[in-house]
Order: sequence, then structure tokens, then C-alpha cells
Amino acid sequence: MKSKVFDDLRGFLSELDRQGQLLRISEEVTAEPDIAAAANAAARLGDTAPALMFDNVAGFIKAQIAVGVHGSWRNHALALGLPMETSMRDQVAEFIRRWETFPVAPERRDDPPWAENSAEGDEIDLFSLLPLFRLNDGDGGFYLDKAPVISRDPEDPDNFGKQNVGIYRMQVKGARRLGLQPVPMHDIALQLTKAEERGEDLPIAIAVGNDPVITMMAGTPLEYDQSEYEMAGALRQSPYPISSAPLTGFDVPWGAEVVLEGVIEGRTRELEGPFGEFTGHYSGGRKMPVVRIDRVSYRTDPIFETLYLGMPWTEIDFLIGPATCVPLYQQLKAEYPEVQAVNAMYTHGLLAIISTKKRYGGFAKAVGVRAMTTPHGLGYVKMAIVVDEDIDPFNLPQVMWALSTKVNPDGDLVQLPKMSVMNLDPSAVPPGISDKLVIDATTPVAPDVRGHYGQAAHDLPETAQWVTRLNAMLADRI
Amino acid sequence: MNTDNQPCPRCPDGTATVATVSPSGNIWTVYMCRVCHFSWRSTEPKRRTESALYPEAFRLTAADMAAAPDVPAVPPLRRNP
Repeated sequence: MKSKVFDDLRGFLSELDRQGQLLRISEEVTAEPDIAAAANAAARLGDTAPALMFDNVAGFIKAQIAVGVHGSWRNHALALGLPMETSMRDQVAEFIRRWETFPVAPERRDDPPWAENSAEGDEIDLFSLLPLFRLNDGDGGFYLDKAPVISRDPEDPDNFGKQNVGIYRMQVKGARRLGLQPVPMHDIALQLTKAEERGEDLPIAIAVGNDPVITMMAGTPLEYDQSEYEMAGALRQSPYPISSAPLTGFDVPWGAEVVLEGVIEGRTRELEGPFGEFTGHYSGGRKMPVVRIDRVSYRTDPIFETLYLGMPWTEIDFLIGPATCVPLYQQLKAEYPEVQAVNAMYTHGLLAIISTKKRYGGFAKAVGVRAMTTPHGLGYVKMAIVVDEDIDPFNLPQVMWALSTKVNPDGDLVQLPKMSVMNLDPSAVPPGISDKLVIDATTPVAPDVRGHYGQAAHDLPETAQWVTRLNAMLADRI
Repeated sequence: MNTDNQPCPRCPDGTATVATVSPSGNIWTVYMCRVCHFSWRSTEPKRRTESALYPEAFRLTAADMAAAPDVPAVPPLRRNP
């Protein structure tokens, strides 16, 4: 059966509403602290939390703010066009299945709804355009934290695959001025470095308020020359609609609520932050690049889509959890077909759990180290826990069993000194550098003959049949 | 609604100017510090808007700002771009 496809945020919000997964809050609220506190609270409701839509914010006219759009496993399933009760494990499996249909060519459309209104130069006022608000007490200001940023490789600007779509936090610093955080391991930092080496600005487009799949793709660590639009087509099983942005000519989501265009000013750095990050800690104040906005295009009465993040789990963990597992799994599996599954849902993959068959003694450690040298692993995968093929890495009690019985610190820990990690990891010293750890929680195999694992207990051969029988009896009882 | 410049709650020498005012009802003003770029809305909880109540962990001194690293570092200019 073909799954449902959403071309814009409004279409997906209607679906969430139909499924009872959108809570409209029309009583007057304050921009601060109400909206962030409500979004924070929704994240504490767990795997079934609804998205929240605010349309009566004190002091604003016609403001519409959507938070928590990806904020639960139910919403994540609906974003993929799956039944909302689809388990997290099955969602990851379907994600993998669709990933393998990459690339799906995008569909170009000429009539983007965001072309309805526009402003240029000093006419631009981001504070009037968007109902901006603060998330956490220590944040340096108001942020755009869920808006895909589109940029191109200055040395290969016509290469569609190298056109990058990624989400980077942006602090609003003026009517048409933003701060932007390019983590050095992320693609936009590579492009900015190339522009700055040439003494140039880096043109960008920013799409605010989108269909749910492009936002997932913008948070997915694809390879440098893989197109997020072609992967979005694979994930939604339908060509992804794009249009040309009027100033930069960059390809942007057809369905966006707002498109901002301008440049990252080359060779400029300015104090930014702090900002409560996905690590559950604030980043300290750093000097970071500055964006000048030169043109805005927007729908009439645009919806401001944003997310709350703080102490995990919050919306961002649902948004980037599966999207982090799948590329790591695909990249490991390409070289080591013994790899069975990857759970890298913890803090964007700072910790990854990998299940694998073993070729020979020491193999599991090699798989763990390899995870650290994937493109995403360079900035993440500080810890890799490697478990046997019969352990489900998404089943944490099973993982704890493996850790508690298969690990002898004498021989099962591999500590790699002073490796690269993204600079937001609060444990890194200095920021950007950390030791990394592989924990081999697999059963040793020859020629590694440590331990006494010859008498493992397994489920009885008849157990699977009894599981079916008991489930049927329970179902009949209702 | 006060549209005068304000002292910055976060940094000792900062002066904040008005970035915007509420489009409806004269309800709030957003200020932005010209020194440390901190911005706030006048109606936020006082722990975010008043210097005396602003959390110690997030205050910034001139020395903090001077020591803030460039992220990412600005690369050397290429001779033959």
C-alpha cells in the first residue's frame, strides 16, 4: 500500500489533527515562558505526545506557532505515512527499506506558495515576519532551530548532490541578521571554509516551516555528495517537490512557509549563544559566523515551526534518532555484512549500540572502531557498544545483559586517545577532542578464547510457538 | 512599554537598544545588547531580564567575551583561488 505523502507543513498538521495528534491552544499564552514550557511538558508526556499549535500569543497579531511536530514515535510514524502505532523498531526497519531506493529524482514546481509575499534589503524585519521567542533561561536570544539551510559547494556550484540541506542553530541578532553555528564536522562548515579561503561570502537559503520528511533529511548525516532531496524522495516514496529561490537560485522546498535568502559573511565571527543544546547542556559563548538576509519570501500568515530542546528526551531526539541509526547501519553494512542493526539514538549518536555476527576473534572491536571513522562517527560515536547478533540493540534490557555478562574489562575495552568529537560534547577537553571507547560486549570467538561461554542458555525451541499461542489467548479474552 | 535604552542583564557594560515592539497592544518590547548580543522581551520572567536576578552561570564579562574562541576558525586565504 502506498503511504501518505505530505508536501507541506499544513498538510501534515491536518493529518496530525485527524489522528488526534495535534493539540490547538487558543487561549492566550505568553511568548515566554509559556510556549517553551508547554513544549517541554509535551516532551515529558512520552512516546504518544501530540504536536502543539498556538494561535493566540500575547502582543502578536495572527501568530501561529507549531512545536512538537516530530515530538513522539506516533508523530514520527505519521510523518513517514505509517500507521501511528507502528513500533519504533519497525519504523527504523521501514526507514532502512526506503533508504535503499535512493536516489529518487525531485519534482520541480513553478508555483511555490511562499512566492506570495516578499521583501528585500532594509524592508526585511525578521521580528515582524516570525513570532520569535526564547526557549531556555540561559539562551542568548531567540533562535531558528528547525529550519533547513541550503548551500552549495563554492568549487562545484552546479553539482546537485553537493547542494547541502542541513539544520544549524541560528540566533536572531537583528532585523535581518543571524548568527549561525556550523559544527566543523557538518557539510556547511566544509563549504564555508572553501568560500572563506577564497575570500568570498557563502550564499544560503533558509526554509522555515516544512513538510516533515525534509526536516528529517536535513538532520540526517548523509554523505557529502548525496542529495537530501533525492533521499527525501526515497523516504516518502514519491518525488520531492522543489522550487528555485528567487535571489540565490538554490533549490528549496516548494512547500515551505518562509524562505530567507542571503549570505554567511565570509571571514566574520561574532559572539553567539549560549544555547541549550541537544546534549542537554548549554554551549558556551563562542564567536561564530554571521548571516545577512537580503530577501524574504513568505506565505500570507506563515506558520512558525520550531522545536524545544533541553534535557533529553525532547522532540529533537525523535527527529534525529532513526535518521542517525540508518546511515551508520548502511555504511557499516556496506563493508561488514555481518552487522545486523545499529541503535545510535542517544544524543545524536554520541553513543551507538551495534549488533554483529563475528568473523573471528577481535572482529567486533574492528566494527566498533569503524563506526567511529564513518563520516558521522568522526564527530560523534564517542562510545560504541558492540553486542552479539542475537541481541536487539533497541532492547536496552538485552543490551544490559550483554554488558553485564559478556564484558571483562581485561580485554574488552578499547580506548582510543584524543579523537575528534563535535565541540558541543561537554566532556571534551579541549572542545572537539575526546578519547573514545569501544566496549566489546560480544561473546569471544576463536582465537579469542577468554571466558566460559560454552553453556549459554537459549529460548526453548518450542517457545516461539507458545508466544503465538499465549498472544492468541490474550486477544480472545478481550 | 518602555522604549528607552536599557542596561543589559547579562554583561556589565552593555547597553541594549529596542529591537522591536509588540505589534498589538503595547504589551512588550524586545531589547538587544549592542555589546554581547543578548536579547530579551520585557515581559519575560525577571530571572532573564534583571541584572540582579540573572543567573551567575550565564553572566558574561569583557574577559569572557575576549576569550571566546572562533568556531570554526577562519582559514588562511588561498593565494590562487
